[in-house]
Amino acid sequence: MLVFDQVDYHYRRGHPVLRQLSFEIHQGKFISIIGGNGSGKSTLAKLMNGLLQPREGQVKLDHLNTLKHEDLGRIRELVGLVFQNPDDQFITTSVLDEVVFGLENLRVPRDEMAHRVNEALKAVHMEDYVEAMPHQLSGGQKQRVAFAAVVAMDPSILIVDEATSMLDPQGRRDILDVMHALHRQGMTIIHITHHMEEILSSDRVLLLSNGEMAFDGTPSALFSNVSIAEHQLALPFAVRLHQALGLNAPLCADWKETITSLWSMS
Amino acid sequence: MVYELNDVSVRINGEEILQSVSCTLKEGKWISIIGQAGAGKSTFAKVIKGLIPFFKGEYTHNQQPLPRDSKGNMKVVPQIGYVFQFPEHQIFETTVYKELTFAPKVKGESPERLEEAIMMVMGQMGLSGDLLQENPFQLSGGLKRLIAIASVLIAEPELLILDEPTAGLDPISRTALLKQLKAWQGEKNRTVLFISHQLEDVAEYSDEVMIFKKGRLLVHLDVNELFLKHIAFMEQAGLPLPEPIQLLRLIEAISGRILEPASCREEDIMQLVRSVWQSRGLQNDG
Repeated sequence: MLVFDQVDYHYRRGHPVLRQLSFEIHQGKFISIIGGNGSGKSTLAKLMNGLLQPREGQVKLDHLNTLKHEDLGRIRELVGLVFQNPDDQFITTSVLDEVVFGLENLRVPRDEMAHRVNEALKAVHMEDYVEAMPHQLSGGQKQRVAFAAVVAMDPSILIVDEATSMLDPQGRRDILDVMHALHRQGMTIIHITHHMEEILSSDRVLLLSNGEMAFDGTPSALFSNVSIAEHQLALPFAVRLHQALGLNAPLCADWKETITSLWSMS
Repeated sequence: MVYELNDVSVRINGEEILQSVSCTLKEGKWISIIGQAGAGKSTFAKVIKGLIPFFKGEYTHNQQPLPRDSKGNMKVVPQIGYVFQFPEHQIFETTVYKELTFAPKVKGESPERLEEAIMMVMGQMGLSGDLLQENPFQLSGGLKRLIAIASVLIAEPELLILDEPTAGLDPISRTALLKQLKAWQGEKNRTVLFISHQLEDVAEYSDEVMIFKKGRLLVHLDVNELFLKHIAFMEQAGLPLPEPIQLLRLIEAISGRILEPASCREEDIMQLVRSVWQSRGLQNDG
């Protein structure tokens, strides 16, 4: 279980980025984190895997604590973070090396390493680019490789920080499908996104606003109880449709199914 | 102002990444460029800006060939503005004022003209004058993006290329940015080439759409023609339909009626769907 206990963070003294954050995330959940630009989402992600340490309070993963230097290595093995900008993540000169790098650091046996690399690159349709230089790929291809490199490390918690922004619609769907498949296998998924339709299928949504937790609950409760626009966000199409047609049916990510079934009942 | 490409092909490292593209970019149009990753969208935009020195075919501006250097290489087209992905990464000055005035000063603009241009572009982007002495690196991501785009608009480009300008922005900042740019384009009667994967934005803001597939221009159509009459092109390009269009098609399929909204914009489609829904006697509390 990942625990935030009264966490404060600032980059500059007197300019708090996160304030008094306390929450728990249980293993195997699919969590979406939303909020406007500058609300503290990416800082929160970096606190989760110990890239940043809290100024006040603590972040714990089971018995491990990001404030303890000796725990950091293990925490970073367990919590994989895919950055918003893939260029922040690349350090090698080929796609293959990029995915292999993390596995070498984890001392994964050679046979298993080859299997994991193949599976991860296949999952994002980049298996034909193993020799390519990461910096010469398109923005969307870079995001696929950055995602594969983290997934191959088989973390217990996968944090994806707005890492589909440069992908075409099919590419975004591919990455989301992989995230849901990993979730079904028991991985905890923490998805930071501005695409509101993507949060409908999550177990829980955390809404950050000016560094504070403005909401923590299910997607349905979010849209019923929170004025979304006040937090620089927009309603997803499914919710706009529900409102436009005055539907009383439960909110469902698959709005087509809802419409078809209501039509056939009338 | 008309830019035309005639049978333009681009070959890089032995691979033809743009094949026989012919098109006309007319004044005052918001033209969206869509296609899967690797379809040739950015290469096309770079040809238009003159960033690709060698290509086969003709490229003209008002029916005149665009200038080339003594070796015949294409030169950068100065009257075209290019906003790259994540343009805020190109910010380097220590104040917003210096960032905005860097390029005009290099071009030798007078101080009076500079002041006038700054006030105009800040107003067009909905930015407060109080920001001018701020350090751009300490502003929010959304504001940095607006400043970076304003530093391109201050040069008054007659054609503006926007490569995924809303990537990474929250939904309200994204809508605000697109509305500002649309207002700028309409007010100045400029041409915008808008590269985007956000198909709902394409349906909402475009006059015309160009679809690229594997280096070829599959089709160049009026936005309503594409989304209301010729959606097969979207499937051919491997692209999904914007959600409002998917809704329209679903209601047509289940009702057996042909629906003709005023445009492909969500507001017009929702209005029509709501009336069909009500006429069916389905519950409507809204």
